[in-house]
Amino acid sequence: MPTRRPIAALAVLLVFLTSCTAQQSQTVGPPLPDTNAAEVVALLEASSQPVVINVWASWCIPCRSEAPLIERANEQFGDDIRFIGINVADTQSGARQFIAEFGLSFENLFDAPRTVPAALGGSGVPVTFFFAPGGSLVHYQPGVIDERTLALQIDELLKRHEDS
Amino acid sequence: MEFTLLWAALTGVGLALLMAKWEMRLGLIPEKTGSLSDLLLGAAVTSLICGRLAAMIIAGTNPITHPGDILIVRSGVDTGFASLGALAFVWLTSRRQLAGTIDALGPAAMAGLAGWHAGCLYRGACLGTASSWPWAVAQEGSNVPRHPVEIYAALLFLAAALVLLWWRRRGVRAMGAIGATALVLAGAVRFVTEPMRPSLGSGPVGWYLAAIAIGLIGIFAARARSRSALQ
Repeated sequence: MPTRRPIAALAVLLVFLTSCTAQQSQTVGPPLPDTNAAEVVALLEASSQPVVINVWASWCIPCRSEAPLIERANEQFGDDIRFIGINVADTQSGARQFIAEFGLSFENLFDAPRTVPAALGGSGVPVTFFFAPGGSLVHYQPGVIDERTLALQIDELLKRHEDS
Repeated sequence: MEFTLLWAALTGVGLALLMAKWEMRLGLIPEKTGSLSDLLLGAAVTSLICGRLAAMIIAGTNPITHPGDILIVRSGVDTGFASLGALAFVWLTSRRQLAGTIDALGPAAMAGLAGWHAGCLYRGACLGTASSWPWAVAQEGSNVPRHPVEIYAALLFLAAALVLLWWRRRGVRAMGAIGATALVLAGAVRFVTEPMRPSLGSGPVGWYLAAIAIGLIGIFAARARSRSALQ
């Protein structure tokens, strides 16, 4: 069968490539500070910068895909926008391992009872909220966020902030 | 759970199949309807799998240890590897009549891409960078008008599909030239619209330029082969 050989070669190559993904650093950092809905609402109201809040958990599969995006956005726009991760329904060790695995450098808070997303008007994991300074909600993204949506909403926050 | 991405994909596949049927009705495709439909669907699925796997590997997530991530298509599909996957599928399944097959697929592929980009209407994801052009649209609750960039792309791909169909109807001696032109047009449409898409990086511009270059080489090769066959 002439077509089987290239397909087999492709399969072997795929297995090889997937086996060669870089080993992530697993150094686990300090415990995440505890937070609750009242604290986060107060933080948003007092903020003079736009704020992006990403709700995540270490057991959440889509969160694994969006964590590198949020980190990249933080590296690029962290001076103008405050990025906050809210870890919900999770354990401290799970959350710390996740942060170490993806090398997340933005601020992450621990909300095991999951009070924050409901107070902000969202549910489920992951969820991403985009707030203007002062805490008014600009956009709410339920479910996994893709790069285009994240970039568009960040641009929207920055444009509104420039105009105000 | 949201299915808007699925609807966008189905719109793309549906438009591609419609264009293929139209080509058959015009007598431009000698093969049976089923085989071309299978080819289009196979190429679309292969492209999705290759693009998703590549996006995961590039992001440092091992698909073998995290197989569930493969299904989270919305987290990213690498455009370049997706295109390579589709081309590899077509090449593997129709090597003996590759030039004729890619010519037949050219207009259908362009129509499919038009449908995929128009699918932004389901997803509420048509808008791009800020713009002061008269038809710019602001998202709900905003006063920042933006380019409806995915609609531009959909219209350009639709125009490309119709131009290629018209060209096929006129009759082209150089086998493979239409397929290669489709590759050039696909790269060009994405390249032209890319600056209007908000992005955390520069977008896969290198892949678009590679598609244009490979397509141009394909056109010259097809014309050279056609000329030498005539002599």
